Amino acid sequence: MLAGLIGAAGLAAQDVPLPGGSIDFTLPKDSPVALLNISTGESRATARGAALVLDLHMSMTLRNASAARIRGVTLRVVSQEVTLGGKGSVAYPSLNVGPGEAFPVRIDMQLMRPTQVASGPLVAVNLDGVLFQDLSFFGPDRLNSRRTMTAWEMEAQRDREYFRRILAQSGRNGLRQAMLESLDRQTALPELDVRVLRGGRAVSSAALAPEHTAKFAFLRFPDAPVEALDGWAQVAGNEASAPRVEVRNSSNRPVKYVELGWVLSDPSGRPYLAGSLPSADPALYLPPGATARVLQDTTLRFSSNGQPIAIQKITGFVSQVEFADGKIWVPSRQSLDDALLRRVVAPSSEEQRLSDLYRRKGLDALIAELKKF
Amino acid sequence: MKHPNQAALALHAGGDLGWAARWRMARHMAKCPRCRGEVAAYRGLREIVPDLAGIPEVPWNRLAAEMKANIRLGLAAGECVRADGPPVRDSLWFARGRAVVALASAAALLVAGLILQRPTPKPFDDGTVVQATGNGIQVREGGQALGLLNAGAHNVTYSVGAQGSMGARYEDPETGLVTINNVYVE
Repeated sequence: MLAGLIGAAGLAAQDVPLPGGSIDFTLPKDSPVALLNISTGESRATARGAALVLDLHMSMTLRNASAARIRGVTLRVVSQEVTLGGKGSVAYPSLNVGPGEAFPVRIDMQLMRPTQVASGPLVAVNLDGVLFQDLSFFGPDRLNSRRTMTAWEMEAQRDREYFRRILAQSGRNGLRQAMLESLDRQTALPELDVRVLRGGRAVSSAALAPEHTAKFAFLRFPDAPVEALDGWAQVAGNEASAPRVEVRNSSNRPVKYVELGWVLSDPSGRPYLAGSLPSADPALYLPPGATARVLQDTTLRFSSNGQPIAIQKITGFVSQVEFADGKIWVPSRQSLDDALLRRVVAPSSEEQRLSDLYRRKGLDALIAELKKF
Repeated sequence: MKHPNQAALALHAGGDLGWAARWRMARHMAKCPRCRGEVAAYRGLREIVPDLAGIPEVPWNRLAAEMKANIRLGLAAGECVRADGPPVRDSLWFARGRAVVALASAAALLVAGLILQRPTPKPFDDGTVVQATGNGIQVREGGQALGLLNAGAHNVTYSVGAQGSMGARYEDPETGLVTINNVYVE
């Protein structure tokens, strides 16, 4: 009935508010976060031709109902009727929420669907995971939030320690200089538009170029527990498909997940961070010394400022490893301080948060924030 | 007293009621002057209807002769006012014009056919796609899409997973929290 109402309203009027019940927000009974309030006041439905565009805006206040400090929360966003097989998540890393404390979160989403779709809540939002200060985790983890948020927290610890060390060694001026450099680097990151297509090679103007096999070059980090041995992808114009990389566990601990970053360069030599290449096999188990292939059956189409980027060179590096015991390895600041990577790799979410804090509130606020952890 | 309806009275006036209804009607009329008057009125009306429906005789032959004479008169008048020379339909210009019109019609038919049957390349079906949009990221399949927006945010960092995911990281201007949106292809 709801969708019918919306459909009819969308057809009759161009812009109408959504009735209540459009969004189903649920938390597990034993959830360590509680919902204090939720508002969907500005959500609207707009008819555009034969399609209905739903702008859903959720503002919520969550409270830490656990006895531990929360470092991250991930919410799962699913619309069963829209984009069959598609889903989304909204994550809040770099949190520092003590027991009993409340924090605001916001989700803005847009659904586009045919007007004749059947009834039911438009979107279901539920908890996928909560990460605590001691790296313990709660949640169904359907989106691998445990690994993702743990990696973010590892990066956050690394970067907080890095900036604390700068403050200790170089004082306020040194920290200020480091923040300015970080902000400059974030501004200078090249913009790259990427479309990821499931399956094989697509047809586009640039893809009419002949396809060839491009080999990966690799950046090697001395402390990486996994080593990239060989890699290649099918490249045609601005499309790269079926990337696969052979890796070897060079540590003395078994590994269950490997992720590589890859950088591509255009004919002028300008580098762009193409993305990550995670291991596809959820049952991956890589004992010490063993090799495996990291591969994906997808096609990535690259462009910048609306122009296709002809792929000239691909460079890969190991960006994340999860051991069988759940511990996560991320590259050190020294490893990332590479001439190529400094040009393309975005700072961590924690570095982004700290630099934004410096930009908005100044050095004293930043120093006070670093002392909280 | 309950009176029969007007339809029954009219049918009785024409003798069209069934035996039982006619008997009941006769009994009622015997003691009801009002209905007797109604029936009498219907009978009077029936008597004048044939006169109203009649059509006076039309002298068709005379009318046809007058029409033919008028047509001949018109043709003769046309011949009188026309300049000397062959009829227009026999002229070269008329024949050429007729050919031009025929060719134009054929061309229009051809163009319409080409437009309707134009062999256009079938649009490629990208299947499920994840991509960045102007104000967020979305997973799209055909005419359906699910997007997560980062409206009002500055310094948005996009990331791509080769398994079919797209992320957008930004500091929410309202909450002040670093927020990471992701969309996935399952």
